[in-house]
Amino acid sequence: MSTQIEITINGDRYQGTVENRTLLVDFIRETAELTGTHVGCASEGRCGACTVLMNGEAVKSCLLLAVQADGFEVQTIEGLANNGKLHPLQEAFWENHGLQCGYCTPGMLMALSEFLKNPSRDEHEIRTAMSGVLCPCTGYVHIVDSVKAAVDKLEAMDPHDREQLFAPIGEV
Amino acid sequence: MGAEMKNPWVGKSIKRKEDERLLKGQGQYMVDLIVPRMSHLGFVRSPHASATIKAIDASKALALPGVDTVMTGEDFRGWKSVLSDNSIPNLPGDITKRPEYWPLALDDVKYAGDAVAAVVARDKYTIEDAMDLIDIEYDVHIPVLDAEEALKPDAPLVFPEWGDNIIYHQSMKSGDVDGAFAAADLVVRERVPVHRTGGQPMEMRGCLAKYDAADGLVLWLTTQRPHIIRNLLAEYLDLPLDKVRVIQPKDMGGAFGTKAPFYREDIVASRLAMELGRPVKWIENRVESLTNMGQERDQVHYMEVAFKRDGSILAMRDKIISNIGDARTAIYVGFAMPFVGSMYMTNGNEVPAAEVDLTCVVTNKACITPVRAFGSYAGRIAFDRVLNIAARKLELDQLEMRRKHCIKTFPYDTPLGVHVDSGDFMGSLELAAEQVDYDRFRERQIIAWGKGQYLGVGIGMGIELSGMRSEVLVRMEHMPGFGSATVRFDAHGKVQVSEGDSPHGQGHETTFAQAVAGELGLTPDDVYVTYGDTMSTPFSCGTLGSRGASYTISAAVMAARALRPKMSAIAAHMLELPEETPQREDFLFLDGEAIWIPDDSKRVSIKKIAHVALQAPIHLPPGMEAGLDHTSYYEAPSTGMHSCSVHACTVEVFPETGRFQIMKYAVIDDSGVPINPMLVRGQINGGVGMGIGNATMEEYLYDAQGRQLTSTLRDYCIPSALDLPYVDVVHHNSPSPHTPLGSKGKGEGVPGTSSSCLVNAIENALLPFGVEVTSLPLRPEKIWRLVQAAKAAT
Repeated sequence: MSTQIEITINGDRYQGTVENRTLLVDFIRETAELTGTHVGCASEGRCGACTVLMNGEAVKSCLLLAVQADGFEVQTIEGLANNGKLHPLQEAFWENHGLQCGYCTPGMLMALSEFLKNPSRDEHEIRTAMSGVLCPCTGYVHIVDSVKAAVDKLEAMDPHDREQLFAPIGEV
Repeated sequence: MGAEMKNPWVGKSIKRKEDERLLKGQGQYMVDLIVPRMSHLGFVRSPHASATIKAIDASKALALPGVDTVMTGEDFRGWKSVLSDNSIPNLPGDITKRPEYWPLALDDVKYAGDAVAAVVARDKYTIEDAMDLIDIEYDVHIPVLDAEEALKPDAPLVFPEWGDNIIYHQSMKSGDVDGAFAAADLVVRERVPVHRTGGQPMEMRGCLAKYDAADGLVLWLTTQRPHIIRNLLAEYLDLPLDKVRVIQPKDMGGAFGTKAPFYREDIVASRLAMELGRPVKWIENRVESLTNMGQERDQVHYMEVAFKRDGSILAMRDKIISNIGDARTAIYVGFAMPFVGSMYMTNGNEVPAAEVDLTCVVTNKACITPVRAFGSYAGRIAFDRVLNIAARKLELDQLEMRRKHCIKTFPYDTPLGVHVDSGDFMGSLELAAEQVDYDRFRERQIIAWGKGQYLGVGIGMGIELSGMRSEVLVRMEHMPGFGSATVRFDAHGKVQVSEGDSPHGQGHETTFAQAVAGELGLTPDDVYVTYGDTMSTPFSCGTLGSRGASYTISAAVMAARALRPKMSAIAAHMLELPEETPQREDFLFLDGEAIWIPDDSKRVSIKKIAHVALQAPIHLPPGMEAGLDHTSYYEAPSTGMHSCSVHACTVEVFPETGRFQIMKYAVIDDSGVPINPMLVRGQINGGVGMGIGNATMEEYLYDAQGRQLTSTLRDYCIPSALDLPYVDVVHHNSPSPHTPLGSKGKGEGVPGTSSSCLVNAIENALLPFGVEVTSLPLRPEKIWRLVQAAKAAT
């Protein structure tokens, strides 16, 4: 059985008729052709590499069907930088070596971009925020450093620019 | 030739060149590759650990719209077995048996997960449907799963034609072991089993095979060693090398050793692409990954160590029984890892005499594949268990013990044949003690124990091999150990470094660029690193065994240095220095310029030198050959290049629940001369995390029928951020005497050391109970049970 759906991803509308069993992550990767979002577990929701924001909330796109996202606004890693300018979190990851193989990184960044709406430098809170995304390369040490550095960057920002970072992209 | 100067980019923690694309979601991983007319491949795998295949009925699957074909082991009847002289290790000792192995199971299955049928369809959802429609009838047998059980005379046989379950046996003995034991003040004997654990990279395996008359077979593959796979694939498929090209995609989501073997799926995808005339893509799912790769360790050690009263070691004996599973994964065949592990049994300790007896046993489990620590993990755990028992009996402090028997003079040759070239354990031990404030912590600990608070401190020390030279690798794995790289100027004055290895997260694009830029007076932005394609990179054995910063970068540095005389000659000619000028070709390469040393006002831009060498050769010195490139092959002069590191940590253990908390974790690291210290710390952090995960959470569990219980990441628990500590790294380096930059590799050896360190700390915290750790992983439940058992015993 198939259904016609429309999902807005990073401000662009994607329409398609999908089999109802199509996972959201497959819609993102194959229909919208945005391959930054990855799959690292048996679509069981444990690895978190597929994390995206759905109406601003971090979700695992392997645990959702595309039809469940019909009419929603999705943000993926491709939408994190703004007109080519890296998000402070991306900058902080780059400066602090917060990634190695990079496979989990898109999911990690999306999960943490949600965390930065209510940022904290508390290491336990940071670790809790990233605990839904697995990274076997880094031991998470430099990711913790990166998040702390991103919090510094956010605080140093003009409040208006900071707000813009978390504004929804476009309107459905 | 220019005077030797310090490489200005070595030692700088610059940002990685590969990161921008990865941070933007623009990485190019295996799964992202798409070619026209591509079909997808999936494998139906055996649910049984030991069974005869009686019948396979694929008719319903073949009738499903969108299904191209179904292939089974029958399609390989009459073909060669996968394991050949070139893909089975050649080690000292007795190797008398060679498993027969087909790309798809033929007649029987030997572990749960064995590939039985391959389905090709136009999309991956159809594959799932088709796989459900394939009926396979099995005659199920009783499996043998435990290595010691498998050695019993009445055990079921994995390969009935062998008559037993032993694939490999090797004994090594050096020094007067018996005499040392007779003279010992204390002999500790302990059986130490170490569980089946290992690693799972975040990206699973995958490949895309394409075959046509123009290019022959092109296989994009998640592999650590494209050149070796190309050779083995060509051999198996009877294709000439000009018709086989293996390409590792630009980005690979980790490997940790698991992507080093030659896997059967590579063959199946290739053959299907050839026969169907359509490109075929396979992307492994995590269940397949957990049941087929990343399983390692799984050894039982019968350790005996002879001590003097002062804690120094006189000799060791060890009988190792290694459960290597079905022993059919090509190149390592499960027993190369325990062999290397057995050689490294004495680790960084001064042990005058040693005897090791290794038996590799086949069972109906998945074949052991390499995982970071390569066979040495279990030995580290076993050795430290014995040291801790001895320390308790001799009433010696663990730090004092380690000071007593760590290697003090370098180079040191262990009785098991490992040449430890350089390091400073004594210095590292002092720094480690400082990091955890050792003496004050011990005082605090005694007070805390009095209050029912269980604090512990652990020390781990380890030698880490930094690649293996050809002398070893040719004999062991039929491949060279050298590092290879081509350094080639382009006509715009930028430099391409083409390496034979294939990185997957290590940051070669950055570290190679740093090393080469500094040698040529350029910046890392001027240097681009390419890799992965067997048609455009020099031959090499791959990215493994911490060889990048030792072997492969050394080749790149040598190749860069080899260009300097020619660059100098061109510069001198461009500056119109008369032929008879003293020091005519003495140039320094700095900040983009060739600077004449006798008079630094005479300079030529390196860009112009490259332009002349390539685009305007009419301006070359008369008679000089055009071009500016060189390929080097670096071979270590020493049989062993090693780094010597020490870990220290403090923990609090809560005996009521068995939980523990790491309070402080520090690593005193030796990386020779780190090229990018930030990246070195990244390698260490990841290795510590893997070791802690292996020691306290992860275990591949099988039920009594041999079905794996840990086939998802919810069951095989790798650590999340909440499970790991912050790691403080102190660089305490002993430059390698053998590499041009003094650099050493980093990564492979970390997990064994971190596991030992943490287990030692937990055991130390529970000293008042007299708890001895007898098995891993140390999950809270196990710790709680150990405490209960120790309480009951007193």
